[in-house]
Amino acid sequence: MTLTCIAALGLSAFLTAQAAPAASAGGAGQRKAHNAEASPAAFEQLSKAADRARSENDNENAIRLYRRALSLRPAWPEGLWYLGILEYEKERFLDARDVLRRFVSYDPTAGPGWAVLGMSEFKSREYSRAFDHLRRAMALGMGGRKEMAQSVFYFVAVLLTRFEQYNESMNMLLAMVKSAQKTDLLVEPLGLAALRMPLLPAEIPPDRREMIRMAGQGALAVEAGRQDEAEKLFSGIVAAHPNEPGVHFLYGVFLLDLRPADGIAEIKRELEISPFHVAARLRLVEEYLKEERFDESLMLAEEAVKLEPKDGPAHMMLGEVLLAKGDLAGGIRELEASEKQAPETVRTRWDLLRAYTTAGRKDDAQREKEEIEKLNAPTGEQEP
Amino acid sequence: MAVSGHPIYIFSMKRFSWLLALFLAPLSALSTTPQKSFEQIAKQADAARTADRMSEAIGLYTQGVRLHPAWSDGWWWLGSLLYDEDRFAEAAPAFKKFVALTPKSGPGYAFLALCEYETQDFGSSMKHFGEWARRGSPGNDALLDVAGFRWASLLTREGRFNEALYLLAAKAAKVGRTPALVEAMGLASLQMNSLPEDYPPERRELVWLTGEAAYYSATGATLRASQYADRLLLHYSHEPGVHFFRGTLFEFQKDFGAAEQEYEEELRSSPDNGPAMTELAVTLVDDVQPDKAVPIAERAVSLEPQNPRAYYALGSALLATGKPEQGARALEKAKQFAPNSSFIRFTLAKAYRVLGREEEAKREAAAFLALRDKQEVLAWPGNRGATPEQVEVQGTKKP
Repeated sequence: MTLTCIAALGLSAFLTAQAAPAASAGGAGQRKAHNAEASPAAFEQLSKAADRARSENDNENAIRLYRRALSLRPAWPEGLWYLGILEYEKERFLDARDVLRRFVSYDPTAGPGWAVLGMSEFKSREYSRAFDHLRRAMALGMGGRKEMAQSVFYFVAVLLTRFEQYNESMNMLLAMVKSAQKTDLLVEPLGLAALRMPLLPAEIPPDRREMIRMAGQGALAVEAGRQDEAEKLFSGIVAAHPNEPGVHFLYGVFLLDLRPADGIAEIKRELEISPFHVAARLRLVEEYLKEERFDESLMLAEEAVKLEPKDGPAHMMLGEVLLAKGDLAGGIRELEASEKQAPETVRTRWDLLRAYTTAGRKDDAQREKEEIEKLNAPTGEQEP
Repeated sequence: MAVSGHPIYIFSMKRFSWLLALFLAPLSALSTTPQKSFEQIAKQADAARTADRMSEAIGLYTQGVRLHPAWSDGWWWLGSLLYDEDRFAEAAPAFKKFVALTPKSGPGYAFLALCEYETQDFGSSMKHFGEWARRGSPGNDALLDVAGFRWASLLTREGRFNEALYLLAAKAAKVGRTPALVEAMGLASLQMNSLPEDYPPERRELVWLTGEAAYYSATGATLRASQYADRLLLHYSHEPGVHFFRGTLFEFQKDFGAAEQEYEEELRSSPDNGPAMTELAVTLVDDVQPDKAVPIAERAVSLEPQNPRAYYALGSALLATGKPEQGARALEKAKQFAPNSSFIRFTLAKAYRVLGREEEAKREAAAFLALRDKQEVLAWPGNRGATPEQVEVQGTKKP
């Protein structure tokens, strides 16, 4: 199934839903403002004809009629919505996008509106806007429309990878796996996130598709607890592509749980191939901390911060190392730097809560506790 | 996907009746409302805007400019509010009206150009970015950031890669690395006449790796740049433009031997590649091998008879081989095509001096001094003396 099909599934689900998105009270004032300009009889005639044409599947005619009706009443929410949907179905994504932008400007609380707008922008390759708008749809919720939510989650997850937020992407994709979605569709996105390649599935170079699919299947195997299968896949990738950046890191992270010494060796091999790999350093820091190898972990954490001074996780790990070494002030400093870069990372806030408590900074600790509660509170569409 | 016969149809017709009632009720009330004056509308529009009632504000500003088409503030706010809602096709005419009424206002041109970029009216967008620059590129950081980026993308699309890279490198130094910046630098570095939205998806990895190398090179992280440049060879060593790009990286790092090798490699796969030939000649001159450079530069000029850089390479090579008269002729030709190039004027001054043509040498030296901070055509807007006009991208200040 292609991306188009996934998006279409979402739309289909939305169209069968019991509540249209334009029902919010916020649009009423706008309707009033425009009524004075419209000719009610002509508008009524056109809008009815448009609905009829749509119901008869005469979509080109419906589009034309919706446009004419909207020229009389530009803020007609249903008209904007159906016109947007019809343009999307015709794969005229730029037209759909423009109409849906108007729709959401009149009803900014319509989650499904943002969802289809984001999908239209994705199709027009306006990835940054698509990402923002799809996330807005997630935050607002899609009124329990499961298939639409799945489509939105999928698009957001693949865009997270393209924007180099691999861990967040992986988390979303695995949540989708857990919610029993068709895993075939998720293999390539998982592989890309696992190998930390900032590409969409459609952008995969043909000579690496197999490698990426194996990485994705490996991730699925890990998730299902099929460790032997996962190891076979990951070691197979390493054997077939020994010089490819990312593959030793992936295999190494997998091995850390099974045979830590082998995992460390693989991650070190990755650092030989990719000497600027920050995530590889941070994973080693975590392992060394577990093994109480504080000096090695400190060196790597400092290198990571030097390479990426604005990286929240790098500061977080350095903070954790410093705390482990007993440097409370230094640890808090680094954790605060991490919090500044990535305020939504709950782990940093837990670290800070503990550090402030140790330092006797009760108010700061309390603030962190409240922030953690806020961050853990459910909002919008939580489940894919 | 068909919707005919779907339950939504029945539902929507019921809903339609309900909505119709909703629409008709206030209409009768509105019909008795007395006509508002322009002043009332303007006041209400400003109040709606400051209270964040954006849809209402848009409606009121629209009414206001209809009543009073010379109301420049009205056009400004209408354009700004529509821009904020990504309604670029509607915002563009408002900004067009605004700049016609207040032609001295630079930010209006930037917003107009941005809207035109979004509506794919690229010719007008380029023109209006130019107007913005001519007025000193005023605006706050957010406007400079987005306008500089879009302008650079258009320059890439037009094949003005060096100018695009100049803008992007300045942005890299100022705001740091972002995935979008890396992508834009990749396109310009590979000399692909494309926008980030329209290049072939299968070239994404190539563009990304090239962009990473270009970004780290521009920000002085040479080793990291080389790491990405080497990754390019793993899968794209036969891809057109890759060795050329690697050559430019090494040339930038003053590793002339490595740069020459890369340009030669590029020329092996595409023997008529004028830019690669030109850069090879320039590198050979820098590497004190002007004799080798002359025939290559001559061929570059014959392949690209309108490329100022090719004439510059030839002129520099001839000058360095003790042929200042011929060198000056080639450099004059280069100047003819690129009068704002500081390094061409500098080298021409040198040639005139060797020839004893002191007056002309002085003139060229003065031109060089005047141009050197501009680096070719563009100066990064943020580095210029700010004009008094400062506006917020989000439209929170008056123009």
